[in-house]
Amino acid sequence: MIDPLDASIKIAGSGIEAQSSRLRVVAENMANAQSTGKTPGSNPYRRKTITFENELDRTTGVSLVKVGRVGVDSSTFKTEHDPSNPAADAQGMVKLPNVNILFEMADLREANRSYEANLQVVKETRDLFSMTLDLLKSS
Amino acid sequence: MIGAIPLVGTIVGTSAAQAATNASVTTATNAVGDFGQMMTQVVTDAMSKMRTGEATAISGLQGKATVQQVVEAVSDAQGSLQTALAVRDKAVSAYQEITRMTI
Repeated sequence: MIDPLDASIKIAGSGIEAQSSRLRVVAENMANAQSTGKTPGSNPYRRKTITFENELDRTTGVSLVKVGRVGVDSSTFKTEHDPSNPAADAQGMVKLPNVNILFEMADLREANRSYEANLQVVKETRDLFSMTLDLLKSS
Repeated sequence: MIGAIPLVGTIVGTSAAQAATNASVTTATNAVGDFGQMMTQVVTDAMSKMRTGEATAISGLQGKATVQQVVEAVSDAQGSLQTALAVRDKAVSAYQEITRMTI
């Protein structure tokens, strides 16, 4: 059996890792918010999505979290009239990425908060561990 | 607490033989109250965790491991070293307590 305190650190660690991946996806979406296609009428950058899933760690028996799948958002692209763009079609319309900066900001903040929460679990667990160990030292 | 006192005899008795059997330390499940064996295991565990911590720190500097992995490995090593030290200090002070005993 694994020490529950060790287990909490491991679990929170997996949470931190998952949230970092989410942050990465948000960063990709934000950076590519204006990325149009290269050839006339081609598709621009498609927004990426991320899902998490529960994973049972066989050696310790605890439930960790891991990145399930990095998929794509299949919603429709916005179009804009910009004949000078290399990606403009015969009518001068350009397809823009289906990235909404507001959504991305919200997702970013949520990832940030979740990361902080997991960090706090690690901190508290470490404090409890050292407080318990101090029982041996002081007496 | 009283129950631990007879163990001291075991420690003193086995400490000579311990050196010979150190190499064949097995899991904690079949170590029946052998304090020396337990300590050996704790120290071995702490040492291997420290090695892992150092290796992870180096691969972190090389960009092969994430900051989080480095922190996790190093603090794991720190935790087990602290535990080993605390238990050792306690054992040494218990031993000193016995040497100071008036007969």
